[in-house]
Amino acid sequence: MKVLIVEDEKLLAAEVETFLKKAFYVCDLAHTIAEATEQIEINTYDFILIDLGLPDGDGLNLLSKAKKYNSEAAYIILTARGNLEDRITGLDLGADDYLAKPFSLLELQSRMQAIARRKFNLNEDLVQLGVFMIDLQKRFVLFNEQQIELSRKEFDLFSYLLLHKNRVLTRMQLSEHIWGTFADDDYDSNYIDAHIKNIRKKLNVWGPTEWLETVRGVGYRIRK
Amino acid sequence: MKLSSKLVYFITGSKLIVVLLFVLSLPFLVQQIASEYTNYSLREQRKEVISVIQKKGIDYYLQGDDSYGSYTLLKEEYIALEPDTNGQRLDTIKNAQRIIEQDTLNYRVLNYSFKMNGKPYLLEIGKATASINQYNKPLQRIALYVLMGLIAITILIDLVFTRILIRPLGKIIASKLINRKFPFKDHAKPVKTSTDDFKYLDESLIVLMDQINEDFEKEREFTANASHELMTPISILQNKMENMLAEDQLTDELALRIVEMMKTLDRLKKISASLLFISRIENEQFAKTAGVVPREVIAEVIKEISHRLEDKNIKLEVRFSDGIFSFKANYDLIFQLFYNVINNAIKYNKENGSIVISDESDAKGNYKVLIKDTGIGIEQSELGFIFDRFRKTNLTENVGYGLGLSIVKSIAEYHGIKMQVTSVIREGTCFTIVFSK
Repeated sequence: MKVLIVEDEKLLAAEVETFLKKAFYVCDLAHTIAEATEQIEINTYDFILIDLGLPDGDGLNLLSKAKKYNSEAAYIILTARGNLEDRITGLDLGADDYLAKPFSLLELQSRMQAIARRKFNLNEDLVQLGVFMIDLQKRFVLFNEQQIELSRKEFDLFSYLLLHKNRVLTRMQLSEHIWGTFADDDYDSNYIDAHIKNIRKKLNVWGPTEWLETVRGVGYRIRK
Repeated sequence: MKLSSKLVYFITGSKLIVVLLFVLSLPFLVQQIASEYTNYSLREQRKEVISVIQKKGIDYYLQGDDSYGSYTLLKEEYIALEPDTNGQRLDTIKNAQRIIEQDTLNYRVLNYSFKMNGKPYLLEIGKATASINQYNKPLQRIALYVLMGLIAITILIDLVFTRILIRPLGKIIASKLINRKFPFKDHAKPVKTSTDDFKYLDESLIVLMDQINEDFEKEREFTANASHELMTPISILQNKMENMLAEDQLTDELALRIVEMMKTLDRLKKISASLLFISRIENEQFAKTAGVVPREVIAEVIKEISHRLEDKNIKLEVRFSDGIFSFKANYDLIFQLFYNVINNAIKYNKENGSIVISDESDAKGNYKVLIKDTGIGIEQSELGFIFDRFRKTNLTENVGYGLGLSIVKSIAEYHGIKMQVTSVIREGTCFTIVFSK
């Protein structure tokens, strides 16, 4: 998957690049509209991440221009502006998603994966995990042919950990994913523990879940 | 008390006092005048008699007799002329009793002695005192009526005039002080008046309002810009830490420290985001759509938040009346409003506590939602400040960052919703959210 990151804050762009590279994306960087236009004209991208406040103009202009050259790409707007009009205009102009700064890189990847599944019909919906089979599309866990019932939030949590497998996710990162802006500091972290406990309890009836690890003081990780 | 009422009371009161004093002194005054007038008329009569005598001689009266006397039919007046035997020169007016035809009567008597043809004479003119005072009562009555009438007319004129006079003040109060929703969006128009004091007051208020507006705008702009500018560095830090946490060579101890850093950064992020959110509400960046039903929003909030009830085993009871109230609002903001209030009701509740959410409509057609908890309560002295930014009340642990209720306040003000809070310490708090008709 090829990604163009259009972001004038070089430090931020570098972090996004580091993160996505680790998740096996190929990244190009552009810090201005001019640079981005140049790259879009030459290359074809699967994802184009656009910051709205660029030094030589509004990212929304770039968005409509880029669509002509690279109509197949998925566009995600990244902005610190975060007002409603920008969001609506962005989505109207054909952006696939919108993330307000500061965003979690985990969240970015999660959104990118959701878009990939929707837009590019990637068939990575069935994932084997120990003795379990997880259907990401239909949102359930299978043991042999037996369907194991997880609540909506439990499955959200589970699939987020699975997406970021081999990486420790903190309780805060998890609660922010589940409850979004309504996440309440330390308060919701306890519920993450409760949900994980439930997931383990439900799955342990059928088989071992040693792949779901607790990292003391930090959070949880799925090893695969 | 209103100024106009005060003026009316003052004017009426002062006039009544004047009238009262006048009425009390009226009998004395009338008597005084009557007596003065009697003396005057007695003297006039004396002058006339003397002038007649001088012109026509004393015999015009005496007609050969020693003395002359005459009185009116009802003995109200008499005149007597006789030789002066006393020898003293008299010119007096006094009250005295006289017997006329066996009747003893009180008279005001003028004595005047004079010489005519070398002989001394004494002229006596009398006027019955009863006849002097006979007009006193009707005079007093008429005077009283006339006075009352005049007072009534002046009070009426005063009322009308003061009303016209202070009308601009009423206009200033209505246009500048009452019904002004902060922030003042449009520039206030000056009130027309020819009274300099009111002009001065009005102009001062306009200047003051403009000043407040300007400062408020500046603060709003600053909050928005500052929060916005904070977002980029926070972004960089957050993403750096996320990447660090995924490093392979990371020791457990370092991982823990990164998590602590992330928590602190998260706090900074939430404060900035909340401030930015508040300034967006104040900038009216949220569109309102018709048909937002508070009880439906509450149901959504409960769905979102219910997991938090389990922790302290809190019982949530929802008692809605019949009838649906809906109004023009921004759904997301109203969701946030109820979310924050209900979240507080959970957060500050006791173990095994309860929350009751109910609604009611009052006689004026206002709709109210009551959210009552059995929590730790808020000190009376703190109640006035709970909606202020960064004002933490009854926080024993580090929960919330003091902006939840500020957000509620901004949302409420944006929608013209009134918030009322009552609280009993250690027993609970009740938030009443009033939607005006």
